[in-house]
Amino acid sequence: MAGIHVKGASRTFGSVRAVDNVDLEVGEGEFFTLLGPSGCGKTTLLRMIAGFCELDAGEISFGDKRIDKLSAYRRDVGMVFQNYAVFPNLTVAGNVAYGLKARRVPAAEIGAQVEAALGMVQLAGYGERWPHQLSGGQLQRVAIARALVIRPQVLLFDEPLSNLDARLRVSMRAEIRQLQKSLGITAVYVTHDQEEAMSVSDRIGLMNHGRLEQVGVPSEIYRQPATRFAAEFMGTTNLLEARQLGLAAPVTLSLRPEALRLAEDAPPEWPQLAGTLATVEMLGPLTRLDVALASGTVLRIALLDVPQRALQAGAAVTVAYDPARLVIVP
Amino acid sequence: MTLSIPHQQRLPLLIALLGFLFLGVFLLWPLAQVFSASLLDSEGAHLTFANYTRMLGRPYYRDAIVNTLSIGAGATLLTTLLSVPFAFALARLPVAGKPAVQALASMPLVLPSFVSAYAIVLLLGNAGIVTRWLHDHGLAFGSIYGAGGIILVYALTLYPYVLLPTVAAFKAVDVSMEEAAQGLGSSPARAVSSVILPIVLPAILAGALLVFIETLENFGVPFVLAEDMPIFAVEAFKLFIGETAANPASAGVLGVLLILTTVLVLLVQRRFLSRRRFATHARRTPPLLQAGLGLRFAATLYCWAIVLAALVPFFAIVVLSFMEFRGPVLHDHFSFGNFAGFYDKAMRPLANTLIFASLAAFCVTLVGVPIGYVVTRWRSGTATVLDVVATLPFAVAGTVLAIGFVVSFNSGWLILTGGPLILVLAYTVRKVPFAVRSSSAIVHQIDVSLEEASVSLGRSPLQTFLRIVVPLMVGGILSGVVLTWVTVASELSATVVLYSGNWRTLTVVMFQSLEGGGAGLATAAATALILVTLLPIALLYRLVRRYELG
Repeated sequence: MAGIHVKGASRTFGSVRAVDNVDLEVGEGEFFTLLGPSGCGKTTLLRMIAGFCELDAGEISFGDKRIDKLSAYRRDVGMVFQNYAVFPNLTVAGNVAYGLKARRVPAAEIGAQVEAALGMVQLAGYGERWPHQLSGGQLQRVAIARALVIRPQVLLFDEPLSNLDARLRVSMRAEIRQLQKSLGITAVYVTHDQEEAMSVSDRIGLMNHGRLEQVGVPSEIYRQPATRFAAEFMGTTNLLEARQLGLAAPVTLSLRPEALRLAEDAPPEWPQLAGTLATVEMLGPLTRLDVALASGTVLRIALLDVPQRALQAGAAVTVAYDPARLVIVP
Repeated sequence: MTLSIPHQQRLPLLIALLGFLFLGVFLLWPLAQVFSASLLDSEGAHLTFANYTRMLGRPYYRDAIVNTLSIGAGATLLTTLLSVPFAFALARLPVAGKPAVQALASMPLVLPSFVSAYAIVLLLGNAGIVTRWLHDHGLAFGSIYGAGGIILVYALTLYPYVLLPTVAAFKAVDVSMEEAAQGLGSSPARAVSSVILPIVLPAILAGALLVFIETLENFGVPFVLAEDMPIFAVEAFKLFIGETAANPASAGVLGVLLILTTVLVLLVQRRFLSRRRFATHARRTPPLLQAGLGLRFAATLYCWAIVLAALVPFFAIVVLSFMEFRGPVLHDHFSFGNFAGFYDKAMRPLANTLIFASLAAFCVTLVGVPIGYVVTRWRSGTATVLDVVATLPFAVAGTVLAIGFVVSFNSGWLILTGGPLILVLAYTVRKVPFAVRSSSAIVHQIDVSLEEASVSLGRSPLQTFLRIVVPLMVGGILSGVVLTWVTVASELSATVVLYSGNWRTLTVVMFQSLEGGGAGLATAAATALILVTLLPIALLYRLVRRYELG
């Protein structure tokens, strides 16, 4: 187990700076997520750590050992791929044993270790099956077991859940986090799904245009976005000039939809704004409203479902916001 | 020094280096020798174009050029005209016995074309069986020798080159395009000509080009059928082997012209095809068209006629090999005499053929598969150059390569002439392009992340290649090995230049009995050759079937 230290990592493809002078510290045993839109450089950075992408500049160390010049197969990482990458010519047990054999673990120990790893991912007894007999979720479990069984210094996940259906994604991400915590292996996880990132991570590194925009624990990134991009990428928000809310300062503010309520449900000290209901969208547990203020500004609001209140588009409403949740973004 | 090379590029670089080394010594060096032979004066000291002006000044060799090109063009045209309707029928019309037609239609690809030419001579030649029978009934037809006969044999043996890609193209046309055309008011016939034909045209042209190149480099068919007509590949051979004195300079001139022609044709094709590429994304195979009884009957008749006409010569020669020949004259009673003669004289050549084909198939795989892997996985200038060099043998006639081999390995640091190894190496070089293409196609199908997974689990790139990539390629590699084996077994054009003494092959036995008039031995050798090519294919087919079922 070791922390990961990235210093000044850069890589250019043609004229695109895929990774642009990134510094990053991942602590021992930490679950760290690289989050960002496609093309932001998160996968390139992960592949640099794995050894599948050369650095133009900078260095990467695991603990105090520099690894960026080391061949990928000598780096001692476990990697889980988006498309599973389970070897179709080997059985499930053969797949899981692959890394152990490469490490010359005695044959007598391999069987027990493989069975234990399969047990960890709820696939006990599947060893003799062939990959083509398994579902997508099961294949990804095999891939995880295969990466875990070698007890690597670092675990890398490249969008491991994006090929699975929504329900399975939610249960698997919890399992992945629980496994990582119980083994204490440092993990770097790449995803473009901010909800997934928030649910699994100790800390998140938000990337855009090859740079780290903001690094922090999920709640901090969500509640205190450091940039306009961070505010917009982490869920929905209202980005407003202060004067649109009747405030004097020349700044841009971020106000999350759930920090707004109908005036009659809000504490009396919250500032109020009058407007017209433009759209009402019932999403189940949440109801989403667009309220047009007299100035033309449209505010997005999210309310917990309130069955007793009839909301009709076109109706005049007064809304109120929590002033403590106004965040100034540069 | 290796430390400065990025670690991911070490394996591809190593493979590329070995590939360049092999192709450099056994392809580029011999070709350079042919070029320099054609460009040097008689003392070998000065550069000169005198050889070219001398050769091109002689009407005989100008005729050879014209003959070769016009026969090639005629054969290409005839093949295309026969194959396109055939392909359309196979793809879109109800044809009785379609699976059988499809299986039989690919057989000419592996059967030796000069055997077909020889069978045509035995049937339709001046003293041919059919000719005499017709003559007895007061019927006569023009000579089978010359351009007409050569074109006929080319069309019958090379049509699969156009047929197979065109069938695939017809099947890949998205039905919705056709429906759109008809929805816009086109009749079905007009939809075919205005919408579908332009889409399949690249496939047709690519196939036609292969036919043209095959005709340029073919040695056996014109050798059997041309009589006095001069043909490029044959003349190059004659000049080099020379009854009077070997003449590498003149042979070199013909060889260079042949290579330049092929390269020119390939370049024209690339330019032309790169400008018109229609991508279709067919999700379902287009349905068979509604056809009346008449059309259905005509389509069935047409398909079967071509398939059978192409195979009749081979069938005929097998039958004839069980009849008695006295010299070149056939007597119509059953006999094992030819095979007795074959047993006496040709067992060693049979063994040579089997051994050479096996060694060449092994070497081709060893050289071609890693190169195919590198040119697919490694995007770099070096890989592109390697790809071009590895495709080059395709543009080089067997005769020309063989002449280069003799000139290069007759003396100096590496002497190979007079031994068996020179044949195996020449075969290997000639077949490398096919192995590279086919393995590159397989590697395309293998997800890169499988290799990355293996590497991240601690296997080096080389071990990953051997433990993951090769096992996943094994089916494709196996069919490649069988195809190489089969085509090497019936190779003639390089063999006739390179064989010596005890290292004759079956094709040489046939070739020599053609020259010497030993028709009986020739038919027996042809039958043996047909068996040698068809048996492995049948075995492979069974193996694949069992694998698919199991």
